[in-house]
Formats: sequence, C-alpha cells, structure tokens
Amino acid sequence: MTVAGLSAFYHDSAACVAGNGGLLVAAQEERLDRVKGSAAFPGRALDACLQAAGITIMDVDEIAFYEKPFLKFERMLADHLRAFPFSYASFRRTMPAWLGERLVLPLVLRRNLGWERPVRFVTHHLAHAASAFLVSPFEEAAVLTVDGVGEWTTTAWGIGRGTSIEIREEIRYPDSLGLLYTAVTTWLGFEANRGEGKVMALGGFGRPVLLDRLRQVAGLRPDGSFRLDQSFFRFERGGVMWSPRFEREFGPPRVPGSDLGERYLDMAASLQALLEEAMLALARHVHERTGLRRLCMAGGVALNCAANGRILEETPFQEVFVQPAAGDAGAALGAAAVIRHCVHGLPREVVMRDAFLGPEYPVSRMRRALAARGLPTTEVPPEEMQRRVADRIASGAVVGWFQGRMEFGPRALGHRSILADPRNPAMKDILNARVKHREPFRPYGASVLAEETGAWFERDTESPFMLFAVRVRPEQRSRVPSALHVDGTCRHQTVTPESDPLYHGLIRQFHGLTGVPMVINTSFNDNNEPIVCTPEDAVACFLKNDLDVLALGPFLVEKGPPETASP
Amino acid sequence: MDLGPERPICKRCVLPHSPPDIVLDAEGVCSICRQEEARQSRSDDPPLLETDFVRLLQKHRGKGTHDCLVMCSGGKDSTAALYYMKRRYRMNPLAFMFDHGFEQQDAIDNVRRAADALGVDLLFYRTDAVRGLFRKMVVSGSRAVLCHPCSIWYMSLTFEMAARFDIPLIIAGWTKGQSARPGVMTRCACNVDAPEYRSMGEATKAFLKTLRDDPQYRDFPSSMEEAVARARKRHHATVLSPHWFLDQAAEDYVEVIRREVGWRPVAESYPAGSTNCSLNFLSVWNSLRHFGYTHYHVEMAKMVRQGLMTREEALRALEVNFGDETLARVLERLEPPAK
Repeated sequence: MTVAGLSAFYHDSAACVAGNGGLLVAAQEERLDRVKGSAAFPGRALDACLQAAGITIMDVDEIAFYEKPFLKFERMLADHLRAFPFSYASFRRTMPAWLGERLVLPLVLRRNLGWERPVRFVTHHLAHAASAFLVSPFEEAAVLTVDGVGEWTTTAWGIGRGTSIEIREEIRYPDSLGLLYTAVTTWLGFEANRGEGKVMALGGFGRPVLLDRLRQVAGLRPDGSFRLDQSFFRFERGGVMWSPRFEREFGPPRVPGSDLGERYLDMAASLQALLEEAMLALARHVHERTGLRRLCMAGGVALNCAANGRILEETPFQEVFVQPAAGDAGAALGAAAVIRHCVHGLPREVVMRDAFLGPEYPVSRMRRALAARGLPTTEVPPEEMQRRVADRIASGAVVGWFQGRMEFGPRALGHRSILADPRNPAMKDILNARVKHREPFRPYGASVLAEETGAWFERDTESPFMLFAVRVRPEQRSRVPSALHVDGTCRHQTVTPESDPLYHGLIRQFHGLTGVPMVINTSFNDNNEPIVCTPEDAVACFLKNDLDVLALGPFLVEKGPPETASP
Repeated sequence: MDLGPERPICKRCVLPHSPPDIVLDAEGVCSICRQEEARQSRSDDPPLLETDFVRLLQKHRGKGTHDCLVMCSGGKDSTAALYYMKRRYRMNPLAFMFDHGFEQQDAIDNVRRAADALGVDLLFYRTDAVRGLFRKMVVSGSRAVLCHPCSIWYMSLTFEMAARFDIPLIIAGWTKGQSARPGVMTRCACNVDAPEYRSMGEATKAFLKTLRDDPQYRDFPSSMEEAVARARKRHHATVLSPHWFLDQAAEDYVEVIRREVGWRPVAESYPAGSTNCSLNFLSVWNSLRHFGYTHYHVEMAKMVRQGLMTREEALRALEVNFGDETLARVLERLEPPAK
C-alpha cells in the first residue's frame, strides 16, 4: 500500500511518498518552487517524490494530510470571535485561503491531481509524533511533540509501541511554548517561523536576567506544563503577537535590522533559558509517567538543538531520537506513517538512519548543468575527489558539496552542503562575508567522524541529524574555533561510513591532513534562499557566491580567476 | 553540397546569425537567447508536472476501444511515448504510423517491434497522397520547410484517425525543445509565431498559398491552426506529449526502450541520433541553404537553454551528416522531373 503524505498552506509545505518494501521519499516544496518556507500546495514536491519513487499518482492508494482543517478552522473562528472587532482585518485576509484551499482539500486534490480516492486527515500532533516514533529505531518509546499550535494542541506526549501511538496528555491553545518563542522572536525583530533559530543562537550572547519574569509570563510549573498569561499576548488577532502589556514590561520591540542591544540579547538568553527549562521539565515529566528509557521528539520546537542537547544530557532518557524534519514538513511523513501503520496495521519497515529522502539527479544532468554555464566537466574518481576536496578545505577553500539524494528537513547533512575548515578562526567571518551573508552571531555546525566524537565532544552520542548542541571538550576548543558557539557547544553531525561513505571518506582525508576529524558543514544556499535542490541550483549558487570549489557528483570544479569563472 | 555562406553561431545556444530573425550581438549571443534571458528574469513559467499529465489522462482513461492514439515515427521520443502510455500510465493506446513513401524501413520496424512488445494495436497507413506536394515544393525552388506542410498533413491525418476510432487523446513524442506550453499545444507543438520561425513560416505560408490553384491540393489547409480547427469541427481531441511533463532526458528513456521494446537507431538520419524520414534530408538541406539553420536547430537551442542538452552535444548532433548522394537518392524517389 502506498500513501502520499502532504503538509501545506501554513509554512514548510512538503510531500512524502511511503510504500511497501521500505519505499520512503520526501521533499519540501520550497526546494522546488524556490520560495523559502513555501506554503504552497506541494505539487512540485509530490511530483518529484513520485518520479523519484518510480511511480505515478495512480499508484498511490490514499493521501494523508497533516492536520484536521475543520478543527483548525474552529479554533481560528473562536479566536476571531473573541478578538472581534480587532480581528476583522485578519479574518478578511485569511478567509479566502480557508474557503479556497484549506477547508476543501479534497476539491483541491481533485483539481490539482484529479484525485478521487480516499483523503485521510491526521491530527497535527499525532502526525508529528508518528514522524518521529514510526521511523525511529525504537520498538517502544515515549513521544513528545511541541510546536506552535496544531488544531488546538500545542504540546503532547504519549507512548509509541510497535505500530501504535497513544497520546496521553496534551496542552491546548493558547498555551504554547512555540507561540511564545515565536512572539518573542518577532519582538526581537526577526521573522516568525524563520527567525527562531537565530534567537536560539543569540541566546548565547546575553544573560538570562529576565528569566524570572518570563517564567511568570509563561506560567511554568514544575511538571513542565504551562499556562501563558494571555494579557501579554495577542495570538488571536492575527497581527502583532505581543500585547501593550508585554511592551510595558519588556520595552519596545527591536526594529528589524537595527543594533542588537544588551536588552535584546538578554531577552534572547532568557527566552532560550525558559524554553530549555520547560523542555527539560516536560521531558522529566514524560519520563516519570512512562518509565521508558527512550524518547522521540518532533514539532518545530524540537529543532531547538540547544534544548535537545540538554534533554540528552540532563534527563533520565538514555536515547533520544529527533526527526530531522521535526517541523511541519516532517508532519507530511508522519501523516503517511499514521495511515500505513496505525490505521492499516502495516509493519514498520523503515528506520530513518539518515535524512536522504529527497530526489537525486543523474550524472548526465550534472554534466549538462556545468556545461550550460561554461564550466569544465571532468569526472573525478571518489578517492581523488575526497583527497582533493579535503586538501582544498585544509588550504582555506570554501567548497560546495552536492551529492546523491537531497536531505529532508532544514539541515544540510552532507548532500547539499557548504564545507569549510573549522580550524581557521576567521572562517566564520569568511563564510558570512563571501557566501552565506547571514548574521555574525549565528554559529556554524560541523560534521564529525562518528568514531572520533568521544575525543572531541563531551558526549559521545550518535547525532546524524545535527539536532543536538553538545559541548566540545575544553582541550579541543582552540583547535576548532569556527565550529564553536560562544557557549562552547557545537551543533554537530556524526558521520559513519555506513550512512555516507563518500562524505565520511572526505572527512577522514581532512582528518589525516590536519588532525581534526571535522569540517564546518552549513547548508548549500545563500541567506534567505532555500537549500539548493537540483544541479542547476547548485551551479547557480556556486557562480553567484564566492565559493572556491564545487563538487557536483563526480565533477570537481575549481574557480579560477573571475574572468574564467563567469558563465 | 552547397549550404550557403558560413555563419557565426551563438555562444550560448546553437543558432547562427540569420537576420532578420536571429541576430548575434557584439558579445556573440543571439537575439533569441537575449529574449529568453529577459523573459526568465521576469518570472519562470510554471512547470508542467507529471501529476498534471496523469490528471489529464484520467479524464479519458477507458473511454472507447482505445483511449489514446499515439503518433509513432519509430524514433526514440515517440517510441518512449508509446512505452510510457502503455506501461507507466496503463492506458490502452492505438499506435499510429504513416508512411508517405519516405519513411525508413528501420523506423517502421521499430514501431512494429514496439507494438508487438507492448501488445498494443497498430494502425499503419501507407499513402502516396502527398508525394506530389513535396515534388511541387522542390520544383518550385521554395524556401519553405518541407516538414511544415508535412506536419500539417500528418496532423490532419492523425485527427482524422482519432475521429474515425473515436479516440479523445492524441499523444505525440514531442520533446521539451518543441513547444511545450498549453497555449501552443493547440497549434500542435510548433510555435510558428516564434521569432526564429518567422521567415521560415512566411516561406511556408507563401508556398501553401500557391496550392490554391492546384486542383489536387487546393483543399490543403493553409496553416496548422486551420488544420486543427477543421479537424476539431469533426472531432475534439487533446494533443499532449509525456515528455513535456517528465523530468527525464533522452538518454534516460533510450536505455529503457532499447531494453524493453527492442528499439534501434536508424542507420542514417539527420540530426544524428534521430529517426527522421529520408525526405528530411532535402528539407534540412533547403533550410540550411536559405536560412543557415533548421527547425532542429531551434529545438536543440531551446533544449540547450533549458539545460536538457549541452551546447556541444547539440552542435555535434546538428553537424551535417549526409551529402549529395543522399540528396540525389531522395530526389530520385520524388520522381525524375524533380531534379
């Protein structure tokens, strides 16, 4: 049985195709329509998934959607009524989308796909829970999902066993850690649903002096539950998310792009500390209630790698699995998994040991993409590729690395990555100035040989998805200054020869040359652009930005002087 | 073989300097590439997705004895189209091939083999009905492209067959290099209003006008639009090509059809790797002589711009691979006075 899972119309639209024999393909719409965080119907992503799976939509038995739109609409209506007349503008703005798309998904599917077969709707947090547990290596585990809001639920925990998931407790809107984090993110002058990671990074630069006051705002209780003091927020009006009282308490919001003064840095630090405290309390509560040793996490908040790192280190859970596409994109996968396993009782066949679920492109297309821009198309054997790229990284080059199937989720994990030398203290600034054009306070992650993790990090745990910030051993910190965050942690990805032999071999070569078993790994894109998807995207990004080397499948292109590098 | 003067070729695509339709600028880039560049910078056309194609197929699936008529030339693209319709989309196609007296036996064999391997019905139509038209065209010394009236004729014929068998869908093997936009589909793939076709199109129109005085061909449609409009008065059929919707290059499906239906390239055809009829040599020679390029140059230039071929691949394929002997052989088949 083949099920297509979809998430759409809010942010991070995605499609997934899951079928018998371990078939699992997934992609985010943004990679294909090139709109960051695209909320469009994921027609291109679905098409790419089907073609990658070698099937057509005719071979799909059911479509699963990542939420129940009528429940969500009910919440939206209740919100607007409560806030009327202040909510009128938002009501007028959002209503066409509800009536034209969200509430009539079967019609949208018929119109876009000619779809006449069953459409199943899966509650949002169940989809998140399934996206983690049903592809985890665990037969039994506690499951914790935390995000902005699904239909009504904002936080849920339960137990996954075999092919079933039972949600035991939930916290409902408007009490939401995700919304609280997003509200403060926007108060700090960053974009909702895109700036949360920046705030997490910014947290390292401030002092959590506002934590006590934020605790009161959040109504945080020892068991991790919370009841937000709604007088500080305006979630229901659909515009600015904080209230005048929030401004009276914490001051005016930061103007986007303006200086990040101490007050804002402290707020970021306090918010991050609050989130970590809440997540730790929630995880401890879940452990207490389930007695299980393993935890699966999903939902947008589970992308907070600093909180994840602390859960791993400070709670009794011995193993923690966080889905690489923990946000709404991953819920497409979760919805499909719920239908296949929980509804139809099909056995679980896939353990997500890597995030390489997207489409891949033939060598012939890569060759054409290069030739079309006047770049050389000389193939290089894998060993030589590893050796030469490692050598260039060690000499200070910035490398675009494009290999195999695209990653699913927000992280580039060695298939659509930009690689650089973590030993160079200036590398962060070089990357920011030449390629990534992003805020200087944001740290870069690193890919590390799995077998060397213990020697370099305080916790020797597998972390294939770069979703845990772990402290680098103090004695090693000076050797990898550009991979370090201000607090001495590093968002690292462990790479094994089994999961990615080519990438592992490259880092091993770099290790041999430098004695450092890791390279900086950041996503292959410019700031505010989606990660590259096709060879053409990669070539365009390589030429547009100041990358020195492009490893595109078996092709190695080194940029010469500007006049020969231009198309 | 006289192919006219040497012309500089665009640095980006494969079109030559051929004023007034195609003009190379100081940087050696042709006006068509420049236009495309400006168009792309405004906004890309929405892509045609395979799910769109399947949705269109679903409308017609299972209707009638055959739910689609596949135009087969024996070439890789149309053979792959037939393969896809039967195997990938599980339709019930009727394969249709014509021979106007100039088709190559290898191509005909390809179609027969594919139909046998796929278990689809095959309609083979052999006629000399248009031989006189081709002859007239050659004798007149027209600059018109032989393939244009031929396309008009075979599309009329295809619609007629679709009407006769009450088939709602016509499937062609046109590539992305041939026009692939919904508005252009109705004109059956060749956008004669495109600037690079302007002079060729005018020459064809002028030739077709002369047919009005010819008792044998006076009812011949004056354009593809007219042919389609006439056909649609009798029978409405949608024309589509699966290649417009699939993210695959030719080499991806050539391997499949070689393996699955025993497809073979023909010994001699222009461009290299194609399976075109022998009359095509004459058409190509005439176009090169008068314009310095052919409709294959236009198609491949578009594929180069879309990244579906490299410029080098296209230039290699477009090298003239035939000579006077081949032309003489084709002229012979048009009957002696044509010489």
